[in-house]
Amino acid sequence: MDYIATFYSHFGAMRFRKEVESAGFSAVLKPVPRTLSSSCGTCCAFTAPSLPEPTHPDEVEQVVEVMENGSYKTVFSSL
Amino acid sequence: MQTKDRKELLVIAICGLLTGAIAIALVAFGNPANMGFCIACFLRDTAGALKLHNAGVVQYIRPEIIGLVIGSFACAIITKEFAPKGGSAPLTRFVLGFFVMIGCLAFLGCPFRMILRLSAGDLNALVALAGFVCGILTGIFFLKRGFSLGRSYKQPVTEGVSFPIIQVILLILVIAAPAFIAFSESGPGSKHAAIIISLIAGLAVGCMAQRTRLCMVGATRDLVLFGEKKLFVGFVAIFVAALIGNIVTKNFNLGFEQIGKVAHSDHVWNFLGLYLAGFGCVLLGGCPLRQLILAGEGNGDSAITVLGLTVGAAFSHNFGLAGAAASKAEDGTINPGGVGTNGRIAVIIGIVVVLVIAVLNTFMKKKEAK
Repeated sequence: MDYIATFYSHFGAMRFRKEVESAGFSAVLKPVPRTLSSSCGTCCAFTAPSLPEPTHPDEVEQVVEVMENGSYKTVFSSL
Repeated sequence: MQTKDRKELLVIAICGLLTGAIAIALVAFGNPANMGFCIACFLRDTAGALKLHNAGVVQYIRPEIIGLVIGSFACAIITKEFAPKGGSAPLTRFVLGFFVMIGCLAFLGCPFRMILRLSAGDLNALVALAGFVCGILTGIFFLKRGFSLGRSYKQPVTEGVSFPIIQVILLILVIAAPAFIAFSESGPGSKHAAIIISLIAGLAVGCMAQRTRLCMVGATRDLVLFGEKKLFVGFVAIFVAALIGNIVTKNFNLGFEQIGKVAHSDHVWNFLGLYLAGFGCVLLGGCPLRQLILAGEGNGDSAITVLGLTVGAAFSHNFGLAGAAASKAEDGTINPGGVGTNGRIAVIIGIVVVLVIAVLNTFMKKKEAK
């Protein structure tokens, strides 16, 4: 499944990407899609069979699953 | 490119064009030359009107600033994006905002005005653009190595609405014009469009910037970090619209000499001024315009940054740190203006302080992560 995670800082996004990659999944950093958040930051788009457990959950703002029609379904939110 | 991305790109381009056109219109309606919008100058003018500094020629509560914040606030409420939050290193952000303003006023403009000056043929802005990009690249160097000011936290509604309410109070003050509020009688502060026109312009740009995330720093950051062009398209669109507007209104004057247009040709300090601004803004996560928009969305950290910018403006004029514009005396003598010794020292101190903040918040964070 495809996910997009947003963070409170660029550093949080970098650390999360490393964790996802070390778990053997593909992940890429990119600007947060405008439709997802008005924050001006970095998100991590990744593909994994299920949502991996972040080691620093306090850095994660939200995680959405990217649906087939391109819409987002929130699977985690600290907002 | 997906249809959704293409549509987003088109919206950003249209909003950029409209923003550039509005900036040109504001000059036609009375704002100073190449100053349709300048967040640094307008915050400085507002600080002067509140007598935080006593430079008589730059005192006026600028309704554009009020409009930007209220426009962003209204849009955020309508789109349910209003989210009071804060607590991410507020004092550090204040200090960064303070020095970003010192850098901007050495050059005589924020990154937004840099584009507007460039679109009018002012080559001093090209020197500043080089500094601005170098500053952003320096900031990106630290971002890539783990720079962070820490996370923000959800805040009570009062924290989110306080800044927009302050803007409403400022609007009442500029309309009512009580005796304790200063209004410049000469100089850039005396040149302004009618309050209603400035306010509507600010509201319109505030709405567009909230919807598109328009940001002069974000544009370069996203391009360098991710090869993402969306925000950069907005940046270019503002330039194109303003360039056409300046040519049509016969305000285009290619060269370094820009007498009477609130500019100087002190190249080293134009470069270093916006180097400081670009560096500081990357660490803050957005340019001064973006900070106003985020403050309107309820972000207390951005509101604190704007206060830092405002206090920086007051210090700039109280201690002679701001650049002096080139001018022509009645006898024809040209005063080239530039940045004085105090201003040069302040810019250097600013670069050192921002560098220290970057180092401490990059390598200390890495240590914590281990």
